[in-house]
Amino acid sequence: MIALHQLNRGLMIALILICALWLAIPFTYAVLWSLVDPAEPWTPDNLLPPVMSFYRWEFAWQNSLLQPALLNSYTLAPTAAVMTLILATPTAFALGRYDFPGKETAKLVALLPLVVPGFVTAIFFTSLLYQLGLAQYRFFAILLAHCILFLPFAIRILTVSFEQVRQDHIDAARDLGAHPFARFQVAYWPALKPGVMATLLIVFIQSIEEFAIAYIVGQPGFVTVPTLLYSSLGQDFNRPNAAVLSLILLVPNVILMLILERFLKSANPALASGKG
Amino acid sequence: MPAISIIDVVMRFDRFTAVDHVSLDVEEGEFVTLLGPSGCGKTTLLKLVSGFLQPTEGRIEIEGRNVTGVPPEARNTAMCFQSYALFPHLTVAENIAFGLRQKRLPAAERRDRLADVTGQVDLGDHLPKLPNQLSGGQQQRVALGRALAVRPYVILFDEPLSNLDAKLREQVRYEIRKITRDFGLTAIYVTHDQSEALAMSDRIFVMNGGRLEQSGAPEEIYRHPRTRFVADFIGSANVLDAEVVGEIGPNLWQVTTALGPLAVSSETGPAARRIPVAWRPETARDGAAAHNTVEAVVRHRSFQGHFTDLIVDAGTTTQRLQLPRSAAREGAQITFSIAPEDIAFLEPDA
Amino acid sequence: MRLGRTATILLLLTPGIGLIVFFIGAVIYIAIAQSFGYYNLLGESGYSLEFWETLTGRKAYARSVRYSLYVGFWSAILSVALAYPLALWLRKPFTGSLTVSAILKAPLLVHGIVAAFLFLNVISFHGILNQFMVWTGIFDEPRRLQNDDNAIGLLFLQVWKNMPFALLLLTGAVQAISDDVLHAAQDLGAGAWARFRKVIAPLSVSAMQAALIIIFIGALADFTFQTTIGPTNRQSLAQYMTFFKERGRWNDAAVVGVTLMALSLVGAIVLAAAARLIFRGRLR
Ligand SMILES: Nc1ncnc2c1ncn2[C@@H]1O[C@H](COP(=O)(O)OP(=O)(O)OP(=O)(O)O)[C@@H](O)[C@H]1O
Ligand SMILES: [Mg+2]
Repeated sequence: MIALHQLNRGLMIALILICALWLAIPFTYAVLWSLVDPAEPWTPDNLLPPVMSFYRWEFAWQNSLLQPALLNSYTLAPTAAVMTLILATPTAFALGRYDFPGKETAKLVALLPLVVPGFVTAIFFTSLLYQLGLAQYRFFAILLAHCILFLPFAIRILTVSFEQVRQDHIDAARDLGAHPFARFQVAYWPALKPGVMATLLIVFIQSIEEFAIAYIVGQPGFVTVPTLLYSSLGQDFNRPNAAVLSLILLVPNVILMLILERFLKSANPALASGKG
Repeated sequence: MPAISIIDVVMRFDRFTAVDHVSLDVEEGEFVTLLGPSGCGKTTLLKLVSGFLQPTEGRIEIEGRNVTGVPPEARNTAMCFQSYALFPHLTVAENIAFGLRQKRLPAAERRDRLADVTGQVDLGDHLPKLPNQLSGGQQQRVALGRALAVRPYVILFDEPLSNLDAKLREQVRYEIRKITRDFGLTAIYVTHDQSEALAMSDRIFVMNGGRLEQSGAPEEIYRHPRTRFVADFIGSANVLDAEVVGEIGPNLWQVTTALGPLAVSSETGPAARRIPVAWRPETARDGAAAHNTVEAVVRHRSFQGHFTDLIVDAGTTTQRLQLPRSAAREGAQITFSIAPEDIAFLEPDA
Repeated sequence: MRLGRTATILLLLTPGIGLIVFFIGAVIYIAIAQSFGYYNLLGESGYSLEFWETLTGRKAYARSVRYSLYVGFWSAILSVALAYPLALWLRKPFTGSLTVSAILKAPLLVHGIVAAFLFLNVISFHGILNQFMVWTGIFDEPRRLQNDDNAIGLLFLQVWKNMPFALLLLTGAVQAISDDVLHAAQDLGAGAWARFRKVIAPLSVSAMQAALIIIFIGALADFTFQTTIGPTNRQSLAQYMTFFKERGRWNDAAVVGVTLMALSLVGAIVLAAAARLIFRGRLR
């Protein structure tokens, strides 16, 4: 018992140390690089950049494609989230509330977009767009592709939510003479709410991060934050600029994920209560 | 040398004490039972012996060897789990043979033992099934067979028959005793069921609240319960608070109780002036006698087949008695008597 | 009534699963058709095996198939192999286990491209790793570590990014195994390895399969890691496919794309079957 305790503590200290190195060093480096002032380059003989300023941040903001990229990403993601939710709801309702032959197969088919490699989807979706002569509507094409790509998550999560709606709650509400809307409010919504929020957040995050579709379908000219970052790592590799973009891509993710975590945690007791 | 020595063992979970200074020895080949109410620490004690838990204080010896720090897989023990703990991905046959494979027994021997055990626990038709295809009682028998097949030095049973019907229980009970005797296994058997404990064991250990209340052969525990708890828990005796008046004859003591004045026969005599006494419902005799004749009114009557259970109001208290043949209806007045030898002094309350 | 019900269900499924089937079906159909010469954007269309024949005859094609399989296979195996002991360690909560699991799962939040960039910083010529190695005297002078030929850096990054995902799946599966079942195995004489091999792995094999398949497919079709930190003398299939697409050679791209899908499918089946066979001893 005591030996195990000590072993755990030892392992944990080792792990936290490694992970500090693992996460802390790379991120410190990224932050430092983003603060390098162009007046003097950061050479390896210096532990810290010789001159630090927010010049790169201002520069990235004013001169690069950052503004259109942010605009594109942050209109695309919420739209995709809402649309995916709307598209997934009827299917999830059917899967969660009805029993029918082939239901398990249907659930498996819903996972298809996850199994086909992203670049294959991206390239042949583009091909399809050319065939149909729709290739110039990049924003809508990417939006549609994102919706379909992330439908599996939405269907999965919402199906579980619909399964958790309790028939006796619906019946009780009816018995007490509730109208459809009141019934929805009292029986469906409490069970669905966490699922809906989780779907919105997950699709949002996935869409912000998605690279293959945005890169292939968006070429040329349509930039999102990931494609911009990718090109700043490739053709015109400039470490300080890339550092700024990396951090910009990272921050909303962490914040959203923290919200998600908190939300899912607080959602659980709400679901558990009223059982039994 | 005892097969198992539990020496002054304490087991604490955080601040809760589940086992409290328990010491006991089990001889080689002996079949002992742990009997006690739910939550009194029986399973915990078995887990200490098998090595899943390390005692907070004290130590445990198996075959005279201190086993503190020896992991369960290195102890020659096998446990039949209260929760069955069957491997859900293995068939009945594979479950039973699991321990034999770990011991690297040759295939022929494994086959023989599997055949033996399936006969003993009556699972012949179910060998290729997975646990979730079995009924609760069948699962329990797989768990039992899995432990029996190993024939370990020490075998630990945690309520292995709780889910079986009365007839099967009787049969499997007999098989368990036969196997342990045939192979000279040392066994600790946990049960709630006092008749099972009385029928099977060489010795019984009665536990309560993590402590050992009394130990002894079944007859001794039954006839001479030492504490109020043991008297009540085994055979649900009537326990009365008595005040000793004095010695009225050789080994005969006069006491007053809520039932009225009673004569109690005892070789050692009472240990205190205020002391609990106990008598068993089935020792009551119909009609009056030289000592301890009681008038009572029947409150409840339930016919049990070979006897009739009566709850009666007598004196200023309520007592329970069992008479072989009684026509008394509820509300009727009856007379019964208790022989002085059938009343025992218990240990005075702390 | 029955017909009405069926119609309702089909109607409900249309916007979700219907859309998926239509869209992914169209993508797969276009890919296969183009690989056989149909739907040419330029020139005439028609059935032809030419593209398959010329491309499969090329050394570059075979090399990139082998290379992608190598990356996919090892990423999946290493991520799962590393995640297992951690999942077992975190099976029971202990003080600090939440922190540990949060730290371990942090890479899930970091976008692949960002991870590649961070990694580049650390291993670059002036990066801290080189400085450290020179400082300790293991290296005489800074070495070029990025884009190494054996794709060690790439595999490292794949594992860094994918291990948390495997951990997420495996922790759930391992926590679902009851203490008593593990105790029973131990009591019957199974040591740590036998417990893992005979009880834990067989009981978590579904999660293992899911992790293996998803990581395998992701790494097999990797483009971003390969083009940023992968070896410069190799091409992954996705890279190869994009190469053709950018030159407007849709039919060639389609051949690579179909290859990629076929390999995903076959690889996934092989990995899943192998995991089940090894740990369950049977396929059902
Ligand atoms: N891991 C644990 N942590 C905290 N308390 C525990 C733990 N295991 C057992 N206990 C407590 O120890 C006491 C004894 O438990 P144990 O399982 O030994 O009871 P038992 O005599 O086997 O009961 P039953 O007849 O119901 O099986 C109980 O009050 C239980 O709640
Ligand atoms: Mg118990």
